[in-house]
Amino acid sequence: MRAKLFTSLAIGVLGLLVGLWLVRPPATRANGDKHDEKGGHAHVPAPLEYADVHVPLSVWTDAAMIARGKEIYTTRCAVCHGDQGDGKGPAGVALPFKPPDFRAKDGVAEMRDNYWFWRVSEGGQIEPFKGKGSAMPPWKGELSVDDRWAVMAYQHTFSEHHGPHVPWEHPGSVAMGRDIFAMACVPCHGVAGKGDGSVGPMLAPRRAPQPRDFTSAEFKFRSTPSGQLPTTADLFRTLTEGVRSSGGPLTIGLRGQRIMPSFRHMPVGQRLEVLEYVKSLNRGFRELGVVKTVTVPAPPTLTPERLTRGKQLYADAECMACHGERGRGDGPSAPTLKDNRDLPIAATDLTRPERFKNGARPEDVYRTLVTGLAGTPMPSYADSLELDQTWDLAYYVLSLSRGGQTAETGSR
Amino acid sequence: MTKAMSVIGAFIVVAVVSAGHSVADEGPISGAVKAIDASGKTLTLQTTAKGKTRDVTIILKPESKIVKFTRPTEPGKTGFVAQPLALSDVKPGWIVSVTTRHEGGNEVAEIVTVVLEKPQ
Repeated sequence: MRAKLFTSLAIGVLGLLVGLWLVRPPATRANGDKHDEKGGHAHVPAPLEYADVHVPLSVWTDAAMIARGKEIYTTRCAVCHGDQGDGKGPAGVALPFKPPDFRAKDGVAEMRDNYWFWRVSEGGQIEPFKGKGSAMPPWKGELSVDDRWAVMAYQHTFSEHHGPHVPWEHPGSVAMGRDIFAMACVPCHGVAGKGDGSVGPMLAPRRAPQPRDFTSAEFKFRSTPSGQLPTTADLFRTLTEGVRSSGGPLTIGLRGQRIMPSFRHMPVGQRLEVLEYVKSLNRGFRELGVVKTVTVPAPPTLTPERLTRGKQLYADAECMACHGERGRGDGPSAPTLKDNRDLPIAATDLTRPERFKNGARPEDVYRTLVTGLAGTPMPSYADSLELDQTWDLAYYVLSLSRGGQTAETGSR
Repeated sequence: MTKAMSVIGAFIVVAVVSAGHSVADEGPISGAVKAIDASGKTLTLQTTAKGKTRDVTIILKPESKIVKFTRPTEPGKTGFVAQPLALSDVKPGWIVSVTTRHEGGNEVAEIVTVVLEKPQ
């Protein structure tokens, strides 16, 4: 009886030990991390500061650029990444975080151009690569932007993909964003992102604002000059903050609330992924070249004199034609205003800064005055107002909620 | 009973040996050279893992090798050749990868591979 008990116990202990052995963690590396033996890339989006760096389409197939890239790669990269791009350069095989295999078609197709540019620029000195023990040096201090593009173009040839490395060639590179878009954005923006989702018309029937058509060139909320596409940071801001507006049947009781919800609770990485998908709907984002943004200087001090000048500018610039003398959106032209879809659009009630769609801080109003709101009758004043005049007008606009008086400035 | 105890004991020994083998299976350490002590034959690396940066001092023994890879100078030859270096050749700021073994609680270098010669 006792022997039987101990035999059972022995079998139990044996089972436990075998189980522990089977689930034991992989051998710990000396850097203290566990590593993917196949090579080092992680599925993370490029951060905002790199999100707009898209390689010009011509670079990928430009023989001169590829030759230049080969020269750089051979002298600086091949020692780790290998002459064949297989990640088996003599110095690379000894690394705890293995260089990736650039010949792997699937792996290369999953990553975007701004990801590669980020990696070449910052090397392994940024997370999550630093934490994994990446030894890749940052090249931004030694290679020009053109040189980094060139080396990327050459590296891309290892995957034997001929043509630009863009989402419409590699749909897998925006697959995560596409899934998020399908769940969170399609009801309003439509399957193809044309702003024709089934919910959109219910939000504001037969009038503006309607959900954005991402395939068009007109985006209202930008930090870029009039007529240009927004930066990823602009899109990120809109996605994070949402858009306030008076709405239609689906928003009864929600006046002044967001007609587009805020996605600030969505993880940053997911917001960046969905924006990469949104950008993939409009090839213009890949043809931007160097992105120029409007510089918004630090706001000056608000003074009564500034408001007096702003009031005069408000009249001279004919703001009151649409927004009304007191800024209530009831100017003589207000009833006739239409957007670029020929839908009636209301002039913003400037006495309610909490509803400003592009933000209500002085710098937000400044930016709106400089960039205008594309697709709406709100023009850009970049060419007609001096810098200081723009601040005068921005402060006056914000003062309208206080009857044109000096007081604390608005906040988002 | 004795038989059962023997079986348990045997498996505990196997488990301990297996666990010990797992821990001893060390990989390379990579990082930037922070300090070189040519007389003490040590190399201090700044290395990062799991988001934490730490300094690791590695002992170099006579059998430890330091190499950097260069292109062959002979015409027509391709690939890389390993060029041996002395510890005094290594400079702070260089990025290296070191395969090590544990010895008496210390990290002892087997091969130090220069990844990038970079000034600090």
